[in-house]
Amino acid sequence: MKIVIVTPETTTLDQEADFVVLPLFDGEAGFSPGHAPMIGRLGPGEIRVKSSGSQQSFYVDGGNVQIEGDVISVLTGSSTPAGEIDLAAAKEALSAAESMEAGTTILADSKRKAISQARAKIRVAEKAK
Amino acid sequence: MANARALDKRRKSIRNIKKITRTMELIATARFKKAMDRATAATDYTNRISGVVSDLARAGLEVTHPLLEAPEKSENAKLLVLTGNRGLCGGYNSNAIRLGVKTRDELIAAVPNVTLEVSGKRGISGFDFREIEVDEQFLQFDDQPKFTEVEVIANRYLQLYIEGKLDRLDVTYTKFHSVARQEIVNETLLPLGKLEGADTPVDPDAAAGREKLYEFVPSAESILEEVVPASFRIKLFKCFLDAAVSEQVARMIAMKSATEAANDMIKDLSRTYNRARQSQITGEIMEVIGGVEALEG
Repeated sequence: MKIVIVTPETTTLDQEADFVVLPLFDGEAGFSPGHAPMIGRLGPGEIRVKSSGSQQSFYVDGGNVQIEGDVISVLTGSSTPAGEIDLAAAKEALSAAESMEAGTTILADSKRKAISQARAKIRVAEKAK
Repeated sequence: MANARALDKRRKSIRNIKKITRTMELIATARFKKAMDRATAATDYTNRISGVVSDLARAGLEVTHPLLEAPEKSENAKLLVLTGNRGLCGGYNSNAIRLGVKTRDELIAAVPNVTLEVSGKRGISGFDFREIEVDEQFLQFDDQPKFTEVEVIANRYLQLYIEGKLDRLDVTYTKFHSVARQEIVNETLLPLGKLEGADTPVDPDAAAGREKLYEFVPSAESILEEVVPASFRIKLFKCFLDAAVSEQVARMIAMKSATEAANDMIKDLSRTYNRARQSQITGEIMEVIGGVEALEG
């Protein structure tokens, strides 16, 4: 099974994997080789790629995933290896998100999204330590 | 005949300028290659997004989204003009500014409230010179625009559009077709219009549920909600990338012709210098001979 993570800037990852965990919009899901074709929506969270005993971990801030044949392709705005996340910046982003205005449903929506992104980022970073 | 030493001095200074333009050409070439690689990577992302859209369309989903359709009113328009932070790149900046001014005039004629945003020092000073007020300016984009930085701008536009404070977004930038051809264009990015891949004919088997192409998690509509803003962001990012690549190409070409012009001037000056030197020597010999003859006489 192959996993490809594509961002607008570069292809972050393109390698063989034995097992992949993706942060779908409503929780994590694991994928083994031979999965049925699927298109899914991702939420902010951690991608874990297990291949021949080693495990890699990335933070993604949403996007979508397409599984076809034996290839999992993840399309996301940004993906950061878990060890390289700037924890201080993520915490700052969280407090900035928490002080966002939420007067209307649209504003409240984007506030909720910003908070969940920042929280997920902090969670992934702390786990990687 | 001109003074030989003055000619030599001029020739030296041209040689120095040539060294500078030649170096700038090489730097622009290196930057162009890097920028080009990034543009290619972005194309990969765009293609994959289009692939998802066409798969959604094939499964029978009607591709509709508020971002795709023009809002009923059109009161607030925004124009974003992409220029460079540096000059010495031929007509790159002035062309973008000229089309920007023209587009702005057209927008003002059609829409009551038009705001202007400009990226690049050259564009900002260009609009300043024409006494046109720039509402927002960006200086952080050079030869390698970062997606995270563009994303911030894109999200702001999306937010404004969703809130109904923005009805139309136009971007004036230099589109990159090939090394030999770049074109100044004005594109309307919001409303997005048609998504690439949305025209894919519906697969009747899939639409009727007889054959499942894909499992959609949670649903095709929800995925579309993610894909449409993503394709707007990548489209805006592509504009920035194209502008960056075009700027480097323009600089490469401008510096190349500057180097060639310097070469020609050096050749010309050398010829004049040699002639001046020769005539000076001839004059001196004549003087010496004259002197000898005077002594002998």
